[in-house]
Amino acid sequence: MASNIQEKAKKALGEFTKRQLMELDTCSHCALCTDMCPAYNESKNVLHAPGVRTSKLVKLYDKKHGFWTKLFGEKEITEKEIEELAESTYHCSLCGRCMESCPFGFQTHELWIKAREIVDSLEASPENVIRLAGLMDENMNPYGLEPDTRLDWSFFTDLDDAPELDEAEIAYFVGCTTAYKGANHDVAFAICSLLENQGENWTLLGEDEWCCGAPSVMSGKTEEAKKYAEHNVELFESKKIKRVITGCAGCYRMLKFEYPVMLGRKPNFEVMHAVQYLHEQLTTGRLEVEQGKEKIIYHDPCELGRLGGIIKEPREVLAKITSELIEFDEHGVDSKCCGGGGLLQSVNNDMRLNIVKEKLDEAVEKGAEMLVSACPACKLAFVDGVREFKHDIEIYDIHELIAKRLGVSD
Amino acid sequence: MNGTTAALYTFFVETLPYITILVFLVGMFLRVTRWSSAPKDHQNPKMDLVDSIKYVILDVMLFRKTFRRDKLTWLLVFAFHGSIGGILFGHMRGFHLWSASIFDPFGHWMTEFMIHTLPIYVGYTLIITTFLLLVRRFRLEDKQLSSLSNDYIALILLLIAAIVGQGMRLFPPESVPTEIYNVVFIPRLIVLHLEVVPSYHWFHWHVLMTQLFVMYTPFSKYIHILTGVITPAIYGSRRKELGI
Repeated sequence: MASNIQEKAKKALGEFTKRQLMELDTCSHCALCTDMCPAYNESKNVLHAPGVRTSKLVKLYDKKHGFWTKLFGEKEITEKEIEELAESTYHCSLCGRCMESCPFGFQTHELWIKAREIVDSLEASPENVIRLAGLMDENMNPYGLEPDTRLDWSFFTDLDDAPELDEAEIAYFVGCTTAYKGANHDVAFAICSLLENQGENWTLLGEDEWCCGAPSVMSGKTEEAKKYAEHNVELFESKKIKRVITGCAGCYRMLKFEYPVMLGRKPNFEVMHAVQYLHEQLTTGRLEVEQGKEKIIYHDPCELGRLGGIIKEPREVLAKITSELIEFDEHGVDSKCCGGGGLLQSVNNDMRLNIVKEKLDEAVEKGAEMLVSACPACKLAFVDGVREFKHDIEIYDIHELIAKRLGVSD
Repeated sequence: MNGTTAALYTFFVETLPYITILVFLVGMFLRVTRWSSAPKDHQNPKMDLVDSIKYVILDVMLFRKTFRRDKLTWLLVFAFHGSIGGILFGHMRGFHLWSASIFDPFGHWMTEFMIHTLPIYVGYTLIITTFLLLVRRFRLEDKQLSSLSNDYIALILLLIAAIVGQGMRLFPPESVPTEIYNVVFIPRLIVLHLEVVPSYHWFHWHVLMTQLFVMYTPFSKYIHILTGVITPAIYGSRRKELGI
């Protein structure tokens, strides 16, 4: 294999951090995480098991940086090993559920991102992931649509005058999956309507809004994600924004947790998921809704719940609108992924749909009339699942549901 | 003690411990160098002592996550690690870190049970659970896990050490000395005080295997004995930071 790939592999493997390396060395390959992994459970392919991924990574690391390389030199990483690592790394929804079964509590989400960086450096990323990186470069969003169409969603709603102010207290960061995917246009409209209803001084960013950078991170191009962080933060700060609100779980994690790390400083604004805003408004009495009796089941988006720590707020919000809130058997930090994350759709959409089917089956079995989540990628996965498997259940984003109940959106 | 036994005794008890300690220290140095030469973490949470300790106890010592999902596997891993803990604790009496008199308030029967009867059952538990973990690994290999060679070596080494250790209890001892018999591994530092002199055959094997275990620790999965408290402590602090 080309020596430059070997050199690149050595460099990328050498970028495991102290903690990550300790985690890889500590992993006992006990397979206690395997049954928790939605991708493995779907495929039963050993390469998709999280513990197998750590075995592969340790083997590769030791080939380039192990104890014996000092004495006997490095070993060559084979093409088969690279292919297996790519297969393993991208058949993962980055849901972090393996972390919740690991007795050692490895921060697997970060480990798998690092693994994708290694795959990227080995030029072994799946074709669709490479294509996505190109689209990001061209249009600042992963869907390949022109930046000036970013606000087109508002044409399909009743939002007549989407505000784009020079300065405002609150900025609504719409996010690409909400702005460009038809199934989510109502979510954007609902959040805008709620902000308007509450009399907030708020603004959209319009075509100046760039992707949050999460697709770049998930493609193993963390360095490139920095430019999105820099642009968006500069934009917020130039508008003297005090609070950034987003309805997307992935954007929320990027803005709140990843941007400060990428930029090496804490931005001058607070980041809030829209469900936290709703919770704040409802608990302080600034917003009131009538309680109904619909049987609603709530799905915790992985990036919001397990990886973002927002678990009780959506439940308390939903408890205000229904007396019949039910739960999946595994919820909160243990919530099963819907398959909508980690770029799984672009790598293996059948796997994504089969993962979402399991969730839909359980929801229907429990007699839920509505399945509610708080993430556009989850909503998209559920909508695709219902379309594919014909489940008899309504899919809503929590903001849509509240706005509808308040009569501020259709 | 005949000439060969005496020579083996000298090697296993008086020479090998120095090599063991040297290999262990060099291994730990290499391991720590491997970690310390890696780039710094920028995403580590601010450490919270209370939550760190809480998660180490719940997740590592009690295997809470495994208990919640699979009771049978929990029983296996808890009995395995519990028996190792029990055996290590028992050995500490031989090194005079505690005395049998701590059980005196519970009566003679309890003291006898704790220092002579229970250890035999704990030994069997370790042998059985180590064997079952090996079987589990074989069964899941290439289906749910992909072991490294040291995953097997570590378990096999432990299994042999446990079997020969149990052999010392079950086979007739060499003698019962009139006073405590001292096995001096390293003078004034590591001295084992024995009430009976076990069969030298089993004793030499046990001493060899346990020292191999110590030597192998820095280079193998045994390292989780040391690092297994660090990663869950970070996990605990991360959860605290997220407010979960």
